[in-house]
Amino acid sequence: MIPQSHFLILGAVLFAMGLYGALTRRTAIGILMSIELILNAANINLITFNKFIGNETLGQVFALFVIAIAAASAVIGLVLVIAVYRNMKTIFTEKMNILKW
Amino acid sequence: MMNGLIRQLSDIVNNYGLPQDLVVQASFYVIAGLACVFAFGVVAMRNIFHCAVSLALCLFCVAGVYLFLDAEFLAIVQVLIYVGAIVTLFIFAIMLTANIEDRSIRQANRQVLVSAAVAAAILSFFIFIIIGAPWKAASADSAPGLEDIGRALMSAYALPFEFISLILLAALVGAIVIGKVKK
Amino acid sequence: MVGYAHFIPLFPFAAFAVNILFGRKLGKMSALVSIGASFISLVIAAVTFIGNSHYGEGSYMIGRWLSFGGISLDFGVTVDPLSCMMLMVVTVVGTLIQVYSIGYMRDDKRYSRFFAYMSLFMGSMLGLLLSDNFVMLYIFWEGVGLCSYLLISFWFERPAAARAGMKAFITTRIGDTGLLIGILLLFFATKTLYFRDLGNLAINDTTLTVIALLIFCGAVGKSAQFPLHVWLPDAMEGPTPVSALIHAATMVAAGVYLVARTYGLFLAHHSSLIWVAYIGAITAFMAATIATVNNDIKRILAYSTISQLGFMMLALGVGGYDGGTFHLMTHAFFKALLFLCAGSVIHAVHTQDIFKMGGLLGKMKATGWTFLIGALAIAGVPPLSGFWSKDEILSEILREGHPILFGVAVVTSLLTAFYMFRLIFVVLFGKPRSELRAHESPAVMTVPLGILAAFSIFAGFFKPVKFEPLMMGVSAAISVTGIGMAYMLYIRNNKILPAPLRARFAFLYRLVSNKYYVDEIYDALIIRPCMRFADIAASFDSRVVDGAVNLTAYLSIIAGKVQCWFDLYVVDGIVNMAANITWLCSAVFRRLQTGLVQNYLLIAFFGLAIMILLKLTGGQ
Repeated sequence: MIPQSHFLILGAVLFAMGLYGALTRRTAIGILMSIELILNAANINLITFNKFIGNETLGQVFALFVIAIAAASAVIGLVLVIAVYRNMKTIFTEKMNILKW
Repeated sequence: MMNGLIRQLSDIVNNYGLPQDLVVQASFYVIAGLACVFAFGVVAMRNIFHCAVSLALCLFCVAGVYLFLDAEFLAIVQVLIYVGAIVTLFIFAIMLTANIEDRSIRQANRQVLVSAAVAAAILSFFIFIIIGAPWKAASADSAPGLEDIGRALMSAYALPFEFISLILLAALVGAIVIGKVKK
Repeated sequence: MVGYAHFIPLFPFAAFAVNILFGRKLGKMSALVSIGASFISLVIAAVTFIGNSHYGEGSYMIGRWLSFGGISLDFGVTVDPLSCMMLMVVTVVGTLIQVYSIGYMRDDKRYSRFFAYMSLFMGSMLGLLLSDNFVMLYIFWEGVGLCSYLLISFWFERPAAARAGMKAFITTRIGDTGLLIGILLLFFATKTLYFRDLGNLAINDTTLTVIALLIFCGAVGKSAQFPLHVWLPDAMEGPTPVSALIHAATMVAAGVYLVARTYGLFLAHHSSLIWVAYIGAITAFMAATIATVNNDIKRILAYSTISQLGFMMLALGVGGYDGGTFHLMTHAFFKALLFLCAGSVIHAVHTQDIFKMGGLLGKMKATGWTFLIGALAIAGVPPLSGFWSKDEILSEILREGHPILFGVAVVTSLLTAFYMFRLIFVVLFGKPRSELRAHESPAVMTVPLGILAAFSIFAGFFKPVKFEPLMMGVSAAISVTGIGMAYMLYIRNNKILPAPLRARFAFLYRLVSNKYYVDEIYDALIIRPCMRFADIAASFDSRVVDGAVNLTAYLSIIAGKVQCWFDLYVVDGIVNMAANITWLCSAVFRRLQTGLVQNYLLIAFFGLAIMILLKLTGGQ
């Protein structure tokens, strides 16, 4: 009843918002949260295609794996943020520019 | 889509005499719209804590969208893991690092306009592609259920399954190592 | 006997080499080397002389030197009465003077070098006398001139001596150039340069005259005839033995010898001989007049030499070959004697001004008496040698029919006696005119004086005497008159006093005492323009030539500067510009490396958007 394209559009919108957030948030945690959004957008796409192709488990399994990996990456990312915060006493990414020219 | 939970819910609604499809569609759009709103909240709010909460709510809505796609298991997993664990993790991290009380700190950096333009461009490209592509109509076959997923995990996708566990182990070890306070 | 004549010059040349190379080590021995060589030459010359007089003359070839185009030039020796006589004179006088020099040059620093030069001179002079062709003659002629220069400027620390040496050399050089041109002309006209061929040459009269006169030029230079006489008085700056040997007895006689040797050339056309006679006469008269007012003992003798040489030239010029050559011999003896006596006097009183001397006859017996004998000889008092030779000259002039020249000769003889005895009376008689500490010279100096005095007395008898009572009476009268005039003026000091005389003939006196201003004329006409020319040439060299060189250097510097600028600004500029471009580009592009991850992300997604756009708009 709900056409496939609407789901995909939802996914696209979420992806765009997550992209915008990743590019604009000043704190590392903000960027990580935007990345979770992007991952979720990808998940929506996966499951949409899974449903509309039929008799397949690949999409959902893949989405499951994505969730697991997102969890792992969020863990690592947050630990890194904490470590950086301990070293540089800041959470603003503008200050984390040692690898520049 | 007429299987699973949504079917049951739509049946309940049907009992109340409301047009079934309409309600389903309307509720989908509401939930999708909420997801978008909360997503915007994630990226735009000044207070990080509010952002985390908004993220949690957005993920809830995404879980609801999964229901519309006959992926009940995944919706439950989403809520359990994403909202339950990951967002909690985020909140812990925020509490450990951020200075929440300060409201004057800008949350968005200098490249707002350009990134907004880029995001908008990409979004428009995607929408253009999506609309222009010939999608098949929904097949009315049964979506895979929990059993199918479980069986698939154990048989066809056993290798990635094991790898996932490895990855999780590595993440765990890495987190402990990096997060250790050095004396 | 005569076959050994060519060894005569060899010994002095060897002595020269030894003294030059080993003189320092030999020290006082170098005199003996030199004198020994001279003496050996004397012996050989004597042998040759005797052989010549017995066996007649001969000339023979020694060796081939050059041979080209069918013409050959050989070394040869000519032995005849003239050369034998001159050989004897030169060797005797030379040996005696070198003995005298042992005493005179005793304290000199360059003792051995002096004797080396003397030996070189002896060798060159003897070689000149023996040569049988013009080329050999010219070689030795130049050798003799060189020795003259070396010996005049022997004390070269004195600028006057150095200048005198240069003056002698340059003046005789002018004469030598004439001689050289004459030789070349002779060669091109006749293809022969041998003296024995000069009697019969097949060329026209003008060429003959020209050649003869050019050769006479050489004689004019070497024998200090007018107008090239100016070097001889200045040559008195050299040591007195040098003046005696070279400028009184031998070298200056080389000119007379040359004319005598080439007499055949002159005889061929009478106009060349007339030139010789008149120049001789002018010279004789002029020099005699200058000698009468000069106060330097050596210069009086120098002008006397010039005058006597003029006499000899006069004799040869009128055809009196015998008289001229006879006088050449006698003059060598008494002039050498006079110079050596003068040297002895100077050695004793350390001055050359005769008016500071006086009464030396008492203090220096040997020198004084030999001086007197020499003066008597030159004045022509019989029976000394000078009387015979002068008498012969006078009678030949008259015989050949030249009354004017005879008159000039008579006046000159009178003046000769006069100035000679002026010298004698002032120096040897009377009271000393200033503080003198005179002492006699050592025996090594007085013995040669004695020997030369003996020659001066008896040399007249080497030739058979032709008795002509009238002429002899006239000659004797001339001599006595001259002596008498000198006696009146300088001994008796009677009414004819020198000072009023001087006042009366003031103009003449000034003219004569300034040597007729010949030196000044030469200076103004020749020397100044030459120096000016030299200055112009020098300034041309330093301005134009050096200027051109400096200009080149300057241009090089400018070129260098331009290159430097070019290198600095253009070349370096290009290199720097390349580096700057790289830097600019990198400066622009490194800003991409902000270190901010979100910038990188933005760029990545921007690129993605562009790619999607391109894909959508139908690109490949």
